[in-house]
Amino acid sequence: MPRQYPHEVIKHMHTFRDRLIAWISAASVLLITLLFLWLVLDIFFKGFAGLHWSFLTSAPLNAGRAGGIAPVIVSTLLILGVCMLVCVPAGLATAIHLSEYTVRNPAAARLIRRSLDTLAGVPSIVFGLFGASVFCDLLGLGYSILSGGLTLACMVLPFMIRAGEESLRSVPQEYRLGASALGFSQYSVLTGILIPVAMPGLSIGLILGIGRALAETAALIFTSGYVLRMPESLLDSGRTLSVHIYDLAMNVSGGEANGYTSALVLIAILVMINTGARILTQRIVHEVHI
Amino acid sequence: MLRLIFCLNLVWLLAGCDAADHAREKLVITGSSTIAPLIADIARRFESQHAEYQVDVQSGGSSRGIADVRRGVAHIGMVSRGPDSDEQDLQWYALARDGIGMIIHQQNTIAALNAAQIADIFTGRIMDWQTLGGPAQKITVVNKAEGRSTLEVFLKFFALKNSTIKPQVIIGENQQGIKTVAGNIGAIGYVSIGSAEVAIAEGTAIKLLPMNGVAASVDNVRNGSFPIARTLHLITGAKLTAAARIFLDFALSPAVHDLIEAQYFVPLQR
Repeated sequence: MPRQYPHEVIKHMHTFRDRLIAWISAASVLLITLLFLWLVLDIFFKGFAGLHWSFLTSAPLNAGRAGGIAPVIVSTLLILGVCMLVCVPAGLATAIHLSEYTVRNPAAARLIRRSLDTLAGVPSIVFGLFGASVFCDLLGLGYSILSGGLTLACMVLPFMIRAGEESLRSVPQEYRLGASALGFSQYSVLTGILIPVAMPGLSIGLILGIGRALAETAALIFTSGYVLRMPESLLDSGRTLSVHIYDLAMNVSGGEANGYTSALVLIAILVMINTGARILTQRIVHEVHI
Repeated sequence: MLRLIFCLNLVWLLAGCDAADHAREKLVITGSSTIAPLIADIARRFESQHAEYQVDVQSGGSSRGIADVRRGVAHIGMVSRGPDSDEQDLQWYALARDGIGMIIHQQNTIAALNAAQIADIFTGRIMDWQTLGGPAQKITVVNKAEGRSTLEVFLKFFALKNSTIKPQVIIGENQQGIKTVAGNIGAIGYVSIGSAEVAIAEGTAIKLLPMNGVAASVDNVRNGSFPIARTLHLITGAKLTAAARIFLDFALSPAVHDLIEAQYFVPLQR
């Protein structure tokens, strides 16, 4: 026979527990926000002094200790562009297949999902070695922006596919049934209902993918390379911001100041791209709902 | 969707067109991450004087430079040590000198260690600074990762085997070693003297220990009196392309001595 507590005590215990949970969650939010702020402010204060217009528009000098990062920014954006041009269509198509077309073959779907989850956990250096042997050597692209972008695409695809699939599957089944009842074609259902409704989730997948691509160093040292020249084509080797920051921090004595400034630029680019992606997806959602 | 496919095609076309425009001869140099920033600067000066060549410098480690030259992927390799007995198939060109100094935390009261003491520390026979007359503080041994040239130079000088070393921390690049020792009051490690001197000038909490009574300084590496030093090399296969020959002549000439000194290495007098 369990002990009987008076009603007031039970009520008190409940409110105490509820408050505790609210407290703990608020404290963790505070902690995480503080850590994030610390990181950003640290980079901001150490990097802002070196941030001039000329830093963004001139080439690096003296192994990156002096001069700017113009070619590095261009290479970064080109590599990201190649990666996204491959990732977005291929990732969306695979996500659609997994969520909409594998109902009859759940075993195959499970296998694909397992493989994707495994791929998502593979260390990036493995993708780097894979990219170096397939894109650089086998396909003869050499150290190039194209090799780097394609390697990144292989690395980012599993994330984008899984995020895309989850958001497509979270669209209520009634929408599909209703559309079928009205005689919509599969194409109209996809472009008119499923993709727009799943857009917020799809955009999160995209943003996470962009973040992972911009942060990558290990895989790119072996594929897009280390060259600081302004790229003239997608077949030129080019150094990304992350590789540049890594080199300044780890290999170049006295390169820290410019490393911090480059990190600040990288964060700024990331924020700008993410905001852009969010605005774009919001506009698509908006258009459909009117 | 059609628009997207069109855009994709456009990109491939652009990539293709540009590739056809490349009339300049490309020279690929890969290898040691220690030398890569220096060679990248030398390459830029070389390109400004020889518009007909394009020099691509890639980093990745000395072992990689050797492998790439042997496979014919790179025209020139960068190796931050001297040749081993099984590497005589390659041609070695001395580029610059780099001294390797022992570093400890600035607040450590130890002023000097002899070679036997350092060997004892790295093999785990001495575990506390107190044993050597220092503070009561456990020693943190910071060793370099397998494949790093600094490790090979260190092992050779102290006649140690890497398997007998008992490290608490294993690091890659010099800057990582400096940061590790500066952040750990009981740590001891070894890095390129040039980069340690810069870090000390910037106020990093480390100090360089003398070896056999000779101060660990770039000056003493230059005059040859500091005993632990390595020679940075460029390597090629048995046959040289014309472009590689011209680049080597340039990189080994006094015209780049200012660049070598700017990276805190010591140019060789020829």
